[in-house]
Amino acid sequence: MTAAASTTEPATTSPADALAARVRGLRKTFGATVAVDDVDLDVPAGAVLGMLGPNGSGKTTLIRMLLGLTRPTAGTVELLGCTGADLPAALPDVGALVEGPGFHPFLSGRDNLLRCAAAEPRLDGDLRRPVDAVLERVGLADAARRRYRGYSLGMKQRLGLAAALLVPRRLVVLDEPTNGLDPAGTRDVRRVVAELREAGVTVLLSSHLLAEVEAVCTHVAVLQTGTLLVAGDLRALLDADAGGVVVSTPDVDDAILALRAAGAPAYRAEGGVAVPPGPLEAPGIVAALVGAGVAVWEVHRRRAHLEELFTRLTEEDA
Amino acid sequence: MTTVEAARTRAPLGRLAAAEVRWVLRRPRTLVLLALLASVPVAVGVGIALTGGPGGGDGDGPGLVAAVAGNGLVLPIAALGLALTLLLPLTVATAAADALAGEAQHGTLRGLLLAPVGRGRLVVMKAVGVVAVTVLAVLVVAVAGVITGLVVVGGPDGTLITLSGTALGLWEAMGRVALVAAWTIVQLLAVGAVALAISAFTEHPLVVLAAVLGGLIVFGVLAAVPSLEWLQPLLLTSGWGAGTDALRDPLPLDDLASSTARALVYLVVGVALTVWRMRHRDG
Repeated sequence: MTAAASTTEPATTSPADALAARVRGLRKTFGATVAVDDVDLDVPAGAVLGMLGPNGSGKTTLIRMLLGLTRPTAGTVELLGCTGADLPAALPDVGALVEGPGFHPFLSGRDNLLRCAAAEPRLDGDLRRPVDAVLERVGLADAARRRYRGYSLGMKQRLGLAAALLVPRRLVVLDEPTNGLDPAGTRDVRRVVAELREAGVTVLLSSHLLAEVEAVCTHVAVLQTGTLLVAGDLRALLDADAGGVVVSTPDVDDAILALRAAGAPAYRAEGGVAVPPGPLEAPGIVAALVGAGVAVWEVHRRRAHLEELFTRLTEEDA
Repeated sequence: MTTVEAARTRAPLGRLAAAEVRWVLRRPRTLVLLALLASVPVAVGVGIALTGGPGGGDGDGPGLVAAVAGNGLVLPIAALGLALTLLLPLTVATAAADALAGEAQHGTLRGLLLAPVGRGRLVVMKAVGVVAVTVLAVLVVAVAGVITGLVVVGGPDGTLITLSGTALGLWEAMGRVALVAAWTIVQLLAVGAVALAISAFTEHPLVVLAAVLGGLIVFGVLAAVPSLEWLQPLLLTSGWGAGTDALRDPLPLDDLASSTARALVYLVVGVALTVWRMRHRDG
């Protein structure tokens, strides 16, 4: 079930081919409101890019412009090498779940998907087979013949995911895919995203769940009030943000006094004392603590988490 | 595994149209409206058969319905005329309201645009659905009317006595019914095209229903104001009495032709507006 498109792609990959999507100077205004303001963003082919941002930060508007659902006020969008009036030519290879699942309540989940399948350019012949296969894949096979009206929020979300995965895609766009899902559903989405990445499919997912993004994404883009604050490789961004050490000790107050006396701005943190990067490196810190008679259980480099990075970025600019 | 045609960027139009017709005919509201439409000629026919005529009096009764008494093949034509005042436009406007505004409201229009069904093809696909409902609605009234007319009301040996007093044979009578049915379909397609255009501008299906039915009522009011007589040629509804002409002998075609021409103008304007709007609409 790997992407069929990979066989049709040319052997030579020019730099433009390495990007699944590319936006330049993208801007959208609704009256006096600026929803997206001059955004430049690259989505590398094969990446899982997590788009983060508070509610109303322009994530959905950006995605809608990327898919040609909304016309940009200014700027250009390139999707799988297609741009301008040619943008829809890329859509058969793009699966999307945008602004929640949209289906007809009076039809069953399966009949809704059959209707979606009829509109898919890449499907041919018996439409029931791909529909049944994708229902199995998202864990909806048992509820497939029940009316959509009676679906729980999680089942609706799964059906939306099924529609996005109906055809082997080159790019899958998921807008808040874990909304309303229980832990099992969230795990399933994580599994599906991992499968897509292994198959070489590019995934663009927006979420407000930072742990979710940290768990599945290779790249991240942070939006706030329509502006792109940062974008790039997740590991590189976190490493750049990391630094300092954390000391585990029972004598927290003594440790802080000793370190401050040694010129290091220490502060109380979870599990002991945190020392931001500064004049003292780890050996100096340990020496200062031992010299002051403070018991040291453990010293480790502080690892940055997406949550801290996100909080720092969004609060700095607020 | 399904065949993947890498070259194809659009789903076949026939498959889209078939899916659309299947969708629209499975809607409970479509089925309810079709059942109501079938009940119109049945109710009129049974009522006339039971009482022996409308109101029992002769002469000044409601012309067309009065003519049904003992003359069963007038029933389908009378029923189409009755249903054309409100129930048929309601049926067509409901289909058009669901076609674009309803899909937008459910978020399913986005799915179609992303598939992608091209925007031009989307209008064709939606028009096919509205045409299917229109044709089916008129056929239901006509067929239920013919059956009720022949079985319940009966007539002088399967003939039709025209308003002019002459008798038409069964096949010629059926031809007249078919003519009125075709004329009614054209009138309703004009309503459907305008409704579809309104549907393209909103995501609230009720707005479409209110606009279309409200519009028909306003047309009726305007037509009743003597000083606004000059407006008559512009109003779609002012030609809607022409269906009765099919019951005259010889057949006068002037009003049928002019009302058809007027309907075609509405149809073209409605379709053009729909296409223009859907080219620009956000999904």
